[in-house]
Formats: sequence, C-alpha cells, structure tokens
Amino acid sequence: MKISLEWLKEYVDLPADAGELVDVLPMLGLEVEEAEGSDAPSLDHVVVGEVLDKQPHPEADRLSVCQVNVGTEEPANIVCGATNFQVGDRVPVALPGAKLPGGFKIKKSKLRGVPSEGMMCSAKELQLGDDDRGLMILSNSPAIGTPIEEAVSADRILELEITANRGDCLSHIGVAREIAGRYQKNLNIPATQAKAQMVDQADDNCLINEVRLDDDACPYYTLWTIRGVKIGPSPEWMQKRLQAVGLRPINNVVDVTNYVLLETGQPLHAFDAKKIKGPSIIVRNATENESITTLDEVKRTLQPDMLVIADAERPLVVAGVMGSVDAEVDDSTTDLVLESAWFRPGSVRSTARRLGLHSDSSQRFSRDVDPAGVEYAARRAIDLIIQTAGGELAPTYVSIGSTPRGDRTISIEHSFVEQTCGFSVLQDELVEIWKRLGFSVTGKGPWEVTVPSFRSEVERPIDLVEEYLRLRGTDDLTGSQLLFPANDRENDLSYDFCQSAVDHLLGQGYQECCHYSLRSAGEVESWFAHLNTDELALANPLTADHTHIRPSLLPGLTDALAHNQKNLNDLTRVCETGRIFRPGPRGNVEWISVALAAFPQSNDRTWQDEPALDFFALKNQVNALIEATGLSLPKGLWTTIAEDATWQEGYSARLGDAHKNKLEINAGIISLSLSKAKEAKGPILAAEILIDPILLSKRKKPATFSPFSSFPPAIKDLALVVDSSEPAENVRTKVEEIAIGVGKDKFAVDPVQIFDLFSGKGLPEGKKSLALTLRFRAPDRTLGEKELNEAFEGVISVIQEQTGYELRS
Amino acid sequence: MENDLQAIVAQAEASQASISSRSDWDQAKAAILGPKGSLTQASKLIGQLPREEKPAFGQALNQAKKQIESLFVGSLSKIEQQADLAALGVPYDPTLPAVPNRSGSLHPLSATRRKVVSIFRKLGFTVTEATEVETEWFCFDALNTPEDHPARDAQDTLFFSPESKWANVSKKAKEAHLLRTHTSSVQIRTMLREKPPLRVIAPGRCFRRDTVDATHSANFHQIEGLCIDRKVTLLDLKGVLDHFLRETFGNKVQTRLRPSFFPFTEPSFEVDLKAPNLGKLSDKWIEIMGCGLVDPEVLKLVNLDPKEWGGFAFGVGIERITMILHGIDDIRHFYQNDQRFLSQFTGPV
Repeated sequence: MKISLEWLKEYVDLPADAGELVDVLPMLGLEVEEAEGSDAPSLDHVVVGEVLDKQPHPEADRLSVCQVNVGTEEPANIVCGATNFQVGDRVPVALPGAKLPGGFKIKKSKLRGVPSEGMMCSAKELQLGDDDRGLMILSNSPAIGTPIEEAVSADRILELEITANRGDCLSHIGVAREIAGRYQKNLNIPATQAKAQMVDQADDNCLINEVRLDDDACPYYTLWTIRGVKIGPSPEWMQKRLQAVGLRPINNVVDVTNYVLLETGQPLHAFDAKKIKGPSIIVRNATENESITTLDEVKRTLQPDMLVIADAERPLVVAGVMGSVDAEVDDSTTDLVLESAWFRPGSVRSTARRLGLHSDSSQRFSRDVDPAGVEYAARRAIDLIIQTAGGELAPTYVSIGSTPRGDRTISIEHSFVEQTCGFSVLQDELVEIWKRLGFSVTGKGPWEVTVPSFRSEVERPIDLVEEYLRLRGTDDLTGSQLLFPANDRENDLSYDFCQSAVDHLLGQGYQECCHYSLRSAGEVESWFAHLNTDELALANPLTADHTHIRPSLLPGLTDALAHNQKNLNDLTRVCETGRIFRPGPRGNVEWISVALAAFPQSNDRTWQDEPALDFFALKNQVNALIEATGLSLPKGLWTTIAEDATWQEGYSARLGDAHKNKLEINAGIISLSLSKAKEAKGPILAAEILIDPILLSKRKKPATFSPFSSFPPAIKDLALVVDSSEPAENVRTKVEEIAIGVGKDKFAVDPVQIFDLFSGKGLPEGKKSLALTLRFRAPDRTLGEKELNEAFEGVISVIQEQTGYELRS
Repeated sequence: MENDLQAIVAQAEASQASISSRSDWDQAKAAILGPKGSLTQASKLIGQLPREEKPAFGQALNQAKKQIESLFVGSLSKIEQQADLAALGVPYDPTLPAVPNRSGSLHPLSATRRKVVSIFRKLGFTVTEATEVETEWFCFDALNTPEDHPARDAQDTLFFSPESKWANVSKKAKEAHLLRTHTSSVQIRTMLREKPPLRVIAPGRCFRRDTVDATHSANFHQIEGLCIDRKVTLLDLKGVLDHFLRETFGNKVQTRLRPSFFPFTEPSFEVDLKAPNLGKLSDKWIEIMGCGLVDPEVLKLVNLDPKEWGGFAFGVGIERITMILHGIDDIRHFYQNDQRFLSQFTGPV
C-alpha cells in the first residue's frame, strides 16, 4: 500500500531525516517496494528569494528584468520569462552553481544583453510538483535565503509490501504505530466528537426500520444515520492526500470513507438513504443467480454463499468487497446511512477471489480488520462528513451482534524467550519493547502480556518472541558455532543416483540440460498417443503451452538438439534427469527418469571422419550407465517397441516395464515424424531410463564374494540357422539355458556370446546364421577333450530336440 | 689362428651396414653364428690345436663370439625400433583439433545445486526428496497455511482435477493433488517418515502459476533446509546461514535478518546479503532467502511435541543464486539450453 509521509506526520513525529524510514521500515518487517521522490535530485543552491523590482526587458517583450533578494547583501539581477508573479512574491531561485533536476546548470550569463545571475523556477523545473504554468509562488512566506528543500516540504510516498499477517499495517495509523514503537514516540490518534446512542435495533431516529444479520460471516454490524448533507468536492487537503496515495477524489462523502479507510484500515460504506428500497437492510447470502452491477460498472453474477448487504429488493453491496451503482452517493444525495462492520476474512477473501474483484476494502477485510476499530472509524468518518459536507448525526445508531474477538492475554516465561533466541535477554528490555508495541504487561515472570485486538496474529508465546526480535533487531547477533552431534543419515538414494547418472553421461560427452516440466497438449498428445494423456492435464493451466505435465524428458531433449542445430551450435549429445509422470493401472505415477539423446554425428564438419553413433553404441552407453549407477538391468529380454508414438518402429527396443519391474529402459530412434515436427534435421538416437522411486528407496546390501575356477575354460563354437525375424537375444538365451542344463552339477557355463551374424549367399531366403561361443569351466580341473565333446554334443542334441534352430554345417 | 678370429669379427662388423630387415639380419647372423657360419667353422679348429694352445684360443673364441653377439643384439633392436616406428605411420600435426571435439558439462543449475548441497553436507545436512506432485495438505495445511490464506490462492497454484488419482503420492484425506509450490512440503514428508534429530536439505523443482518472463518461470528450483533437534535457537539458524552464505558468496559477504512472514515459521525472516563481488548487484542489500524457526503448529501437525523439539527451516532459490553469482539477467536462459549459454558455466560456481 502507498503511504504518504506528510500524512503520517499527523499521527507520529517522524525522524528528522524521514528518508531513513526507507531503511528502517523493512527491518520492522514492512518492506518498502519503491519510494517515490526518494531519488529526487539535490536542490543545492536553490533558495527562497523575494522579488523587489520587476521591469520590462529593453530588448524583449516577453522577458522582464527583476531585482531579487536572495539573502545576500546585494539583490540578484535576474531575467525572467514568467508573468504570474508580482513584486513582493517569494519564489524559488536557482543561483549560479545550482543543477536543476533536468541536468540544466545555472551560471551567470547575459540574456539579450542583460546580465542574469540566476533563475527563478516553476514547481515542475524543480520536480516539486506538476505546475509549469509559471513560477512557484511560496505563499507561506518562508524566510528569504532558506534552502528550498527546507522551505518546501515535498511529500514522499512509500509503497509498502505488507505481509499477509500484518493487516493492521494497511493503514496510516497502523504504520504510524510501528514507527512510534520503533522511535519511542507517542501515537496521536485523532479524537472523535460524534455522539450517538447505541441501540440494538433500528428506531425512529434511523432512516430504515430494520437491520437483520442472516449469516454468521458477519458477526458484527453497525449502521449510522446522517441527515442533510450537501454533496460537493472534498477539501483540498483531503484531495491532496488521497491523490498522493493514488486515489481519485470523487465527492466529499465518498472521499471521507476512502480517507478513513486509508487512515484506520477499516472499510466503510455510505448509502444514499433514498435509494434503499423498502424498510430493511439485510446482511444475507446471495440467492441463486442473483446479480449486481458493482461500482466499476461490471454486472456480476453472485453465488449463493457470497455475502451481500441488501435492501428489501436487491443486493446493494457485495459485503466487504464493493458497492453497487444502485445505492451510490451522488450529487443529489442528502441523507446517508453509513455502514461500519466486521466480516469474516475467509468469506470476503473467497468472494473477492471468485469474482476476480480485489478492492481496497476486500484486501483489508480478508486480512482481519480490528473489530475494536469498527466504531471508531464510523465516528471519525462522521466527524469528517459533518466537517466537509455538513449534516446532522441521528442520536442513535444500530449495532447488531458483537465483536468477534478482543484483546488477548498470553502467559510467557523469560526462560522461553532466552531458549528460543539462544542469547541472554534483559528482562527490562523485553518488557519495555512489548510496551512500546502497545501491549500491556503484568506479573514478574511468567508475565501476562495483553495484546490489543488490532494485532490479530499475536496469539502465542512464540509470537511475542518474534515481536521482541522485530523491534530489538538482529544485526548485532553472531551466529552460534555449529556444534551439532553427528547425524547418521545419508543422502536419499534417488538424489545420489541422478547425480552419478549425470556424471557418467558427462564423461560420454553428453551436455546436461534442463527443460520445463509443463508441456503443451499438442506435444503430449502427439508424442504419447499410446497413453491416456488426459490424466496428465492440469485443472487450471495458465497458458496453452503449459497444459500437461511431462511423461518423458525426450521431447525437451529433442527441442534442445533442434535448437542448437538450427543455431549451428556444435551440441549433439544432451542428457537430463528429472521427474516424469505417467498414467498407470492404479492411478498416475511420478517416476524418476534419466534420458539421453544425440545426433549420430557432430553438427560441425571435422577434418577427420568421426565414427557415427549407432543403436548398438547407444545400447552400450545405456548398459554402462546402468552399471555405473549401481542398478541391475531388469530381467527379461530386450523387445522391439511397437505401437508407441514416441519411438520409430523397427529401430527401437525396450527392456523391462516400470509398472511391473520398477525399471524400464527404452532406446532407439525417436519417431522420425516427431523429431521432424520439432524441426530437427536427421534421425535422433535416444534412450530413457524410467525408475519407480521405490526402487531407490532401500540401500542395497554389499555383495558377497563367490569363488571362481582357477582352471582355464574349454571353448566350443556353434553356428545356428534361424528365421530372420527371430530376435538374436532369444537364440542366445535359449542356447545358454540349454548349456547350463547340460552342464548341471558338472561344470559351469559362462554367458554365451554372439560373435557373428550372417545372412545372404548360401542361406535360404528369410533365414540368418548366428555364431555363438560357449565356454565351460569346472571348479576343480581342466576339462578333458572327451568330457567337452560329450557336453557339446549334449547341447546340440537338446537344441535339435527343443528348438527349430538348425545347425549350420 | 687368432688373426682368423679377428677377420671374422671384422666381417660381422662390416655386415651390419647392409642389415635393413629381419631377414637380412637372420641371414647375416647365420653366416657367422649359424651351424655353417664362419665362427662356428673356426671354433671347430680347436680340436686340431696342441693342448697348451687350447686355453688361449678358447678365450679368444669366446671373446669374439661375445663381440659378434652384441653386434647382432644391437642391430636387432635397431631394426625392431624402425619397424615399430613404421607401424605408427607418418608423424602428425598435434595442433589439429580432437575428433569428435565434444565435451559435456553440468547445467549451471545443477552446478549450483551441487555446491549448495556440498556446503550443507559438511554441516551434517543430507538430502531428502519427495514427489513434485503433492497434495493440498502436505503443501499447505501441514505447513500451517489455512484454506483461506492468501498463499493458497488458486491463482498461483497448479492443480489436478479432483478426480485425478496418484498411485505414489499419498494423501492425508480427500484433498486435491497439485504441483508443489515450494520444497517446504518435503519437510513434512520427511518429519512424518523419519525420527528427529534431523538435519536435511531438500533440493527440488517447484511450480507457480506464473507467466514466463525474464524473472518468472513456470517451474523453478529451491533448496529447503530443515533442522529439528532439542533446544535449537535463533543463533543456530543464523550461524548456519551465515556460514552457507560465506561459502557461497565469499568471505566479504554481509548478511542481515529482516523480519518477514511465513505461515510455517515463527519468527520468520528474509535474509539479505551485501557483497563487493557481485557485479551490478555489488554493495547493496539483496534479498536471497527466507528462513525462521519452525512454527510449533507445524511440529504438532507432524506429531512432534513442541515442548521437546524445536528447529529451524530455510528455503533458497537455485535460479536466484545462480543468476546472482554469474550475473545472468534472464531466467529463461536456463530452460532454453543453448550451447553458447551452457558452455559458459563449466568452471567453478
């Protein structure tokens, strides 16, 4: 909120240099967002002068030559172009050496042949106001020769950022109270004159017959009657203050309600009595489909749990938020009904939020105004209305319900304060600080501290400690030495895993990237057409390109490759780790993912041929990554990926299923149409590891050593002719299984390896030949020729019995 | 006789010049040392000598043989060296660039995160993690932020539809799922899962319903810190944060605690810092992070007795630290992943 320092002075003496508040208020918790006029240029050598003589310029019709007393022995001779002044006027004079805010330097000169020893200035030239129509006439007759900055107290406006807990500081008196506490000054709250008797229901003095509270969102409501006001402009001093903090003056009554809101923080509402239809004012919930045209001239449809102030026929005010055009005070208004009430913060907040209507009033009510200030604000406003618009207050006012909360007393021990702070706290200092804040303190430890109702959030002993620290300040404190007992906790594995994955990929030449988690519907639907992407949609997205959460890191990495390719940057290997989101059989899941993507070759031409990255090199990188990060490859086979929009069918494979195995690896070529749609030229090789975080929630046990044979292995090779479509991995595992079966109880079999692949000449159409090598090892001896041949023949005969594979002769 | 031996040695010496390959060498060696070689032949003559001359001849023979063998060892090693060198090919120009001329580096946000984690690791803080998808209870209620609190405004939070189900993000009751707006929710999950004393930091991604511009990002990263112990004081908090800021921004950093408000800490502060080495931001107070003592209400909500346990918590933006440290003026650079940006931050943080 905007605070005028000039206005603030009405309630508290400001420090000699009011500018220091810019630094002091933030340290009280009132952040100064911007200070208008705070960087006003210095007005050195600009003083108050009195015009002693004024003669026409001999050479120029529009100029005059003046003698000006500027406090020196000899008056200054000054040539001037303005006409709005007379002999005897006091005006600001810029003497030689002055530098005006626009950068203009004043020096002795001659104007059309007449010497001029300075310049008389307008308010605008000195940035002391907007008036540029003539000289700034100093009507309050400041002493001649006084520096202009002392003679003209320019107002200064501070824009304060008030935290959610400090509704009390959304007013000039509230801020003044903080300053009074900080500087140990008195707080001067204007006394009120308005006198009226409280009645609990409308009587003959009131302009209406009945006031009714139908909902507990308003527990306390007062209504005051003023007859015979004359609407007109509000006085200049009030207009000036309102304008200074950014409000537009409207008329005396409306201005008073705004003024009192900014002064006390209590919103008020003045109704034109003759516009109220029927005999009642009812505080009730809106009815279904009820609508209201608020003062900003927008017609709004209300919902049934929104509180309104209504007459017999229609809602007149969205309670605590904004009035309607229907009961607005206008030039013809003569009788007023003035509302001052307390509405529940949550109710006002929720209504304002749903209507998208945030007003000065709703801002304050939703931060819990002081119930004890409701009556004061009404009386203060009535004083000012009678002062500025005349009229007469009815002898009674209606007050319904009661204040929802009052002062509260908190019991607190000295030891609690010291334990929380960690340093010794003088008892007297502590009590004095609480008192400076307007709290009253009794007892001698434990103390009973009574906090007035304007501080709604100070409820517990810890809150009193905070108040103490706030006023005391913490700049002189030295933090404690860090003497904590040891802690046996380790980093969560999920964190260390991602870090080691990135380290490993960096070593392979991958650049780590970082992309938005929020993606567009279009991207998510095209890349993950095979998933139920509706599940990943946000309920309230802000923009069309951020409607879904990402099911994979790959679209982002594709963007990075395309972006750098387009910009001729040599970045062709990228990786990322992060959280991804997928629909699943038991609801959506959040998984950890590591992904890498690469163009097969560098974007730059190279003087030497670079081996292109291919699928199998990529597969090797992924295997190495799994190994390096301490995971184990999921059991089962790599299978070719089909019916998956992300991957190019026939060029991509998958191992595991994260829903079932908690770990899944996809690798291959990104669907050509998708990478093309992102304007990437050429195929993109990519891989992603998907991990259910539960897999990383438990530390693995250290491995147990198992002994191995010290005897050399015996080796046999085997070539099999199989269907071209048969995955090699199927053949390899089958042969391995058979070999292990044959060797059972006699010797071990090393993992079977594929060492050749052949198709074409000499083989039937649709067939391929795979050469495999088998290594047998016995723990206790070198295998003999006979034993080996028997085993090998055993393997061949089982292959022939159990599989369709043919032995290649 | 001895003259014959000297002639053979001279012959061996002379033959070395013509050896340029292994076969030359074999041939030359056989001509002298082979079964029919000149030295072998000469040695056979020893039988015909009188007994008293035999020792002297034998000695001379041995000496000649040693001389010749050493010649052949030398020439063999020379031709082997030549052959090894020939296998290396033509010498190259070592100033040509590496192929591929590629290196990967950490993303600057990761580099900052690692640095911060490492600083706190030395103070005994370890990393704790939780999901980015959260629920209203963990993100707000448990952090003492009631339903009608301004921080809970749906304007600022990204929600999932009330029907959405999440298999691995547990709920307290029937509250809605959302994308966490701060890493403070990780405090709650950790305190419910583990027993105090606790000293943890939670780096992670957060989300705000913000329009992306130079200073706002739809997602961003924070590091949350939490210490729960017996008798934790304001000075402990100040000690830890001052240490962290000195390690991050240098020894000349000045810090101050400015009173502020967060629903989950009491008292609450913004931490400001001033340092001489921050470019345009040098020597002025800049806001860097929020902190405070854990509010007793939060402890109660995670079933800890505020009479026994106390603590402090803090939160700092990773983007913010990175931007201040490196003088980066637009947060969008972090998410565009342009190589010309990323390659600038491969050095120390």
